[in-house]
Amino acid sequence: MRRLVLSAALLALASGCMKSEEKATPPPLDGQLEPVANPHQPGDFEPLPDPEAQGGSVGRQPRRLTVSQLDAAIFQAVGRRWVTPSGDGIDARATSLGRADYALVASENTEPNLVFAKFLEDGARYVCLEQAKAEVAQTNPALRTLSRTLPGTWGDLRKLTDAQVREYLVYNSTRFWGSPLAGDELTRWVNLFTQAAARVETVTTNPKPRHQALAVVCIAMLTDSRFITY
Amino acid sequence: MKKNRHDETANPGRRTFLKAAAGFMGSTLLGGLPFRAFAQAAELAPADRCFVFVYFAGGWDQLLAFDPRDPAEFTADRASETKILPGYNLINDSRFLDRPILPAELAGKPRSNIEFGPAVGDSLAAHYDLMTVIRGINMNTLGHEVGYRYFLTGKLPIGSAARGSSTATEIVGQMKPRVPIASIAYNIESYNDRYGGYANALRVSRRDDLLLTLRASNDKLDSEIEKQLLDFRGQPVTCEEAAYGARGVGTTYGNSQEQMRLVQSQGLDQAFNFLSTTNPEMAAVRARYGLDNQAAVDGERGRAALVATALKKGIAQCVTINLTGNLDTHFGTQLTHANNQRRGFDALANLVADLRESDHPSGGKFIDHTTIMVFSEFSRTPLINAAGGRDHHLCNSCLLIGAGIKHNYVFGRSGDIGMSPGTFDLRTGAADPNGENIFPEHVIATVLASAGLDYSITRVDPLRPILA
Repeated sequence: MRRLVLSAALLALASGCMKSEEKATPPPLDGQLEPVANPHQPGDFEPLPDPEAQGGSVGRQPRRLTVSQLDAAIFQAVGRRWVTPSGDGIDARATSLGRADYALVASENTEPNLVFAKFLEDGARYVCLEQAKAEVAQTNPALRTLSRTLPGTWGDLRKLTDAQVREYLVYNSTRFWGSPLAGDELTRWVNLFTQAAARVETVTTNPKPRHQALAVVCIAMLTDSRFITY
Repeated sequence: MKKNRHDETANPGRRTFLKAAAGFMGSTLLGGLPFRAFAQAAELAPADRCFVFVYFAGGWDQLLAFDPRDPAEFTADRASETKILPGYNLINDSRFLDRPILPAELAGKPRSNIEFGPAVGDSLAAHYDLMTVIRGINMNTLGHEVGYRYFLTGKLPIGSAARGSSTATEIVGQMKPRVPIASIAYNIESYNDRYGGYANALRVSRRDDLLLTLRASNDKLDSEIEKQLLDFRGQPVTCEEAAYGARGVGTTYGNSQEQMRLVQSQGLDQAFNFLSTTNPEMAAVRARYGLDNQAAVDGERGRAALVATALKKGIAQCVTINLTGNLDTHFGTQLTHANNQRRGFDALANLVADLRESDHPSGGKFIDHTTIMVFSEFSRTPLINAAGGRDHHLCNSCLLIGAGIKHNYVFGRSGDIGMSPGTFDLRTGAADPNGENIFPEHVIATVLASAGLDYSITRVDPLRPILA
């Protein structure tokens, strides 16, 4: 009897220790946001206040990224840090961008003032042009950051289909801002890209500066208010 | 702790009402106007009221500057009694008088009521008709950091840690000027303890730092693509962008970007390229400030030219500048100190002459719209030490020039024994044994009041006899 009880207890313990089988979630595809069903039903939550009565929006005000957040965000979005070989870059400009030095300034200034706008523009141009140059030479799309959706080898960007251009822009907007471009705004960005792509083909230099077509989209997205706010 | 006197003449109710009315009108007029249209409609224009804070680093000898003594009266023989030795004869250089400077009477102006020390020089002294000198200021400290932070903020630091905001920050915070860089702090500290980031000074340690901010990026796209990018950014914003920009940060960022493009489109960095031979405007600047080489551009005269350019081009409203240094002369000769002061005063004279001759778009000359405060952290002992230099001294003086203040005027005095800080009836300026000391906060309150700004942060009344 005692042996029977012991065996039963062991079985019970063994079953208790077994984990339920976890279902592995496949990694999301690049540039795609998996749609999430709305878990809320009408009546089980308090409705948000009327935006019109709240100055046009609800919730907290957007905030500007701190310098550390900006550094990490540029690295994640573009694929490289803003650091030049001469030592200039986000570390050298951190104080101007608002970082506290804890000697004279004890709290980080996250005001997006003229100096911040100026140096962010400088940084965006540097990292985007450098990254775009590197990606033109990279034939493996998986190793690219900005042009991951483009074919392995590409030359004349005018030959991309409209669907490819839109996929490229939606991918990058999701990468930079966390929200995909859509509708009329997507069409505006398509125009920017196709104009730049057309322009670089008219340039007589050899090789043609095709990286600038990628860079201009990157610069515009990196200096957009959606990139620096959260 | 001394009590602040009750201010009979101030009328806070009226001032508060006017400020509230101005704020309401400003928000009503500008709030509904898209910034793009506003920025495009408005060219960069100089602020109607400008301020320059000029710092002489190291602690100046006020006997050589703004509180001189007659060497015939304060002789070496009497030094043990007076504790004052002007030492002008020890400078022994033909560029410096051996007595105080009494500037020549200007045509159509009354004779000077101000005597200057030999280091001030004739060129700055000649602007006596625009000046007020405040003497007998009690600095309450003999520490360099404490002294200049006290004068920067108008509040005595805690230990050596500054309290409150810099005066320039206070001015910008209250006035909210429509210039791209409201306040520039050149090689000097700046503090902001109660205003938004818009009031922060752009801190630069040299001219190149300022140029870097004003200059377009070195990483350029093809010119046609640059135009496409510019046009793209100028297109109407979408609903999502508008949601981010509806409040706070998005709007501010958009405005900052517009300002940046406005500044860069005007090539303002070229306005500071004083050695340029292609820009005809620079020849006049070089001639006025004596900028014939890079060393001069990087020195006191170049800094004075930078201040004038920043104000006249409408780039900044307030400039706080460390104009000259090497004044902490515990050792060495009187000539060393006098030379170092003279470089600063000559540069300052160039700046004042430039501002008094340049037309302001609102009418009058620039000096009619500009208040200049010249200060140092403390002064130097009235007696010469065993090493031939002078040590730190408590009693200080300072100079105010330009708009909002009385001209050709001296307020306060230091004692005839040991140049001690005096006590005064601050409502009249008369010496009064039962009166109060003059502190830096009185000077700061006066500067703020000279532009009709709220000076309550200083917790004292301004020196009303100085106000114009």
